[in-house]
Amino acid sequence: MSVSSLKSFEYLERLPGTTFRRLYQQPSTALAIFRRMLPHLAKSFVMALLYMSKPLPLTDLTLWVHPNSKREKDQALAMLRTLHMVTISAGKEGPQVVTLTDNFSTSLRLALTGGGNHQSFGVPSSDQVIGGIDTKLLDEYARAQWEGILHYVVNSVGAAMYQEGQGPTQAVKQLLEAGNLVTRGRHTGGGITQAGFSFLLQEANAQVWTLLLLWIENAEKMGMDSVEVLSFLFMLGSLELGRAYNTTTLQETQREMLTPLVDFGLVYIPNSSPDQFFPTRLATTLTSDASALRSVSTGFDAALTADSSSKGFIIIETNYRLYAYTSSPLQIAVLALFTKLTARYPNMVSGRVTRNSVRQAISHGITSDQIISYLSTHAHPQLLKKSVAQGGGPVLPPTVVDQIRLWQIENERMKATPGFLFKDFDSLKEYEGCRTYAEEIGVLLWKSDAKRMFFVTRHEQLRDYIKSRKTK
Amino acid sequence: MNAVDGSDHYEKEVEGKSSITGPSPSLLVIVIDTNPHAWALLSRTLPLSKAIANILVFINAHLAINSANQVAVVASHSHRAVWLYPRPPPSSEDVDMEDHASNLDNANKYRPFALIEDFLITSLRNLISTTTELDISSTTTTQMAGALTLALSYINKASLSFSDTSSSSKPATNSLETSDIPTGLQSRILVVSVSGDLAHQYIPIMNTTFAAQRLRIPIDILKLAGDTVFLQQASDATKGIYMQLRNPQGLLQYLMMAFLPDQMSRKHLVAPTQEVVDFRAACFCHRRVVDVGFVCSICLSIFCSPPEGAICLTCSTHLALGDYGAKPAVIPRKKKKKRKLNGTDTGSGRGTPVPGE
Repeated sequence: MSVSSLKSFEYLERLPGTTFRRLYQQPSTALAIFRRMLPHLAKSFVMALLYMSKPLPLTDLTLWVHPNSKREKDQALAMLRTLHMVTISAGKEGPQVVTLTDNFSTSLRLALTGGGNHQSFGVPSSDQVIGGIDTKLLDEYARAQWEGILHYVVNSVGAAMYQEGQGPTQAVKQLLEAGNLVTRGRHTGGGITQAGFSFLLQEANAQVWTLLLLWIENAEKMGMDSVEVLSFLFMLGSLELGRAYNTTTLQETQREMLTPLVDFGLVYIPNSSPDQFFPTRLATTLTSDASALRSVSTGFDAALTADSSSKGFIIIETNYRLYAYTSSPLQIAVLALFTKLTARYPNMVSGRVTRNSVRQAISHGITSDQIISYLSTHAHPQLLKKSVAQGGGPVLPPTVVDQIRLWQIENERMKATPGFLFKDFDSLKEYEGCRTYAEEIGVLLWKSDAKRMFFVTRHEQLRDYIKSRKTK
Repeated sequence: MNAVDGSDHYEKEVEGKSSITGPSPSLLVIVIDTNPHAWALLSRTLPLSKAIANILVFINAHLAINSANQVAVVASHSHRAVWLYPRPPPSSEDVDMEDHASNLDNANKYRPFALIEDFLITSLRNLISTTTELDISSTTTTQMAGALTLALSYINKASLSFSDTSSSSKPATNSLETSDIPTGLQSRILVVSVSGDLAHQYIPIMNTTFAAQRLRIPIDILKLAGDTVFLQQASDATKGIYMQLRNPQGLLQYLMMAFLPDQMSRKHLVAPTQEVVDFRAACFCHRRVVDVGFVCSICLSIFCSPPEGAICLTCSTHLALGDYGAKPAVIPRKKKKKRKLNGTDTGSGRGTPVPGE
């Protein structure tokens, strides 16, 4: 899992060192950041350094790495330094040494061995668990909540598939607005922003993080400590699905956080026993990385797609026809953003990706890359199988991919230049004189001799010229 | 317009794909040699309890690297090979779990770690308590071959079920053939070995080795004591790591540094190597390690001395022994007489005449 796929984690990289030092005080946080954010090689470095009694000279580390992999090594070290996990410092006699930062190494060791009294992995509830709360119920709950949010975002475009009474709570709506995912003014075509579109086209896990990070930023404004919020989220990520945890042992701020998390569908609190909370799959997979998500994908899909049993459901052909095996109104709504849907069957919709539909999407602020990545992440197993059979070729038909990009570039051909239009000249002679002058000083952009008009970027010199002509 | 030229974004797409996929999860099967005789000898430097504690931290570290990583532990005991984790289904008792609930509910420990620790310790205790004196006195070695076989069969099962669940686009056969980049579940075996000679299990061990080699499963050997020829060969054949610890107290650091990186990282790291690999084999008749032996020309069985009546013990082929033991006849080299023609040398030292000459 390379770092690039984790746009939402860029937020963490921007944090100052002091924040990291505080974050790393919780073993669960140290473990989660280690697991989720590091490149693979960096993990090996950390583990090798973890129980080393003396600092490791940088030269030794270089020797350990294969000479051909210098680039990977440098990347790994750079990442480790950005996250304040290692320090590289000059020892007394010159050679640079690598050490893990104290807070991080202590916490990670605690996480591996257990012990201490940090309670950062959640206190399970000892009360009697009420019957009927199983993973199925939790999955359904999470799905309902999350789809409610997504529907709200999609429907701000105006595709009328919104069932009343299922929408997210007011707080969530405000959050979506604050994060610029939707705008309130529901004038034509408005409502959803470019950020909102990219949000829709992300993978579920990334969506959850995007929303959570928005929430964290907002929490800062409301006076909550972002470190506490983050630590709590990382703790949630280390909990076990289908187990009851105790709310009474949580700190005051953490208990406040539960309410919005219930709105997001990350946490479920049964009405009958408010002292217990159940993390849902959305929460427990927070700190899993992409490959882990894949292995639990069957369960995760159950949580996030209504009927389709497999992850991929889109087939796109070289003639731009698109078949999507889904009946989820949400997925259809997303597809409708950039395809011209023509027919709908009980388990499938079909349509075409056309120049118009793509241009419409682009005018909403969706980029061609987003469309392509959405199509390829949701590609039907048949398409995947074909690409594997061809030795790992492209999943989508190359012509379609190229054409979608071309359609986007088409729009980019237009270049706006601020400037001034000169027209309504009295005579052809005057027009020609001014035009020639503009050409000579190099400000002329466009001219039409028939209409006696021309367009320039700057007008000061030309104005003086015209004045001097008039006075002549 | 060049920017939309086809070729470059195919690559981009492939790269993008791999960045979504990330490194595939790995399965680590640890074979712990629990031979009581060997651990008794080691008790002064590294008691079993301490070693197990170190191995547990190592297991946790492995699981920490990727949340989809899996682990399995087999004990190769003196008279049988036993699963320590995951526990085989028939022997699991629900009543057993209740006793340890207090430890599992500890909020200071990541639950998956706590689960494994609990399982492992419990089943190890079970194993030790069920070992009778008779078992110990009857043999001094360990069931390494059995344990390796268990490990291999588990890996096979795990990778099949993994490729089923992950996606149908990754056929399991893919990892068997070709490709430098293994797809699907990456598995490896780590053997923590303390026993010495395993010559009596030569054939089964070599069979598992070749099976692992074919499945591209590295067998790493961590040798705490003793010395075995065949485990060296196993790690060499499967491109695993072989390490003999000089001071076993530093077990954890060795584990973390040398044995934790999986196949993906190992491509970037310089692995510790063994300078000399002992390639000797054991004979099929007396299980003796031999330097020079006799090989059946039909079935390639190895014998330390010619079998009785020159009949192969494995395939019953009647073998003609030739004149074994006779001194090889030395044929004296014929001296070449150098002829001299007109004082110039035209002997064999000269090359074939070139047509133009």
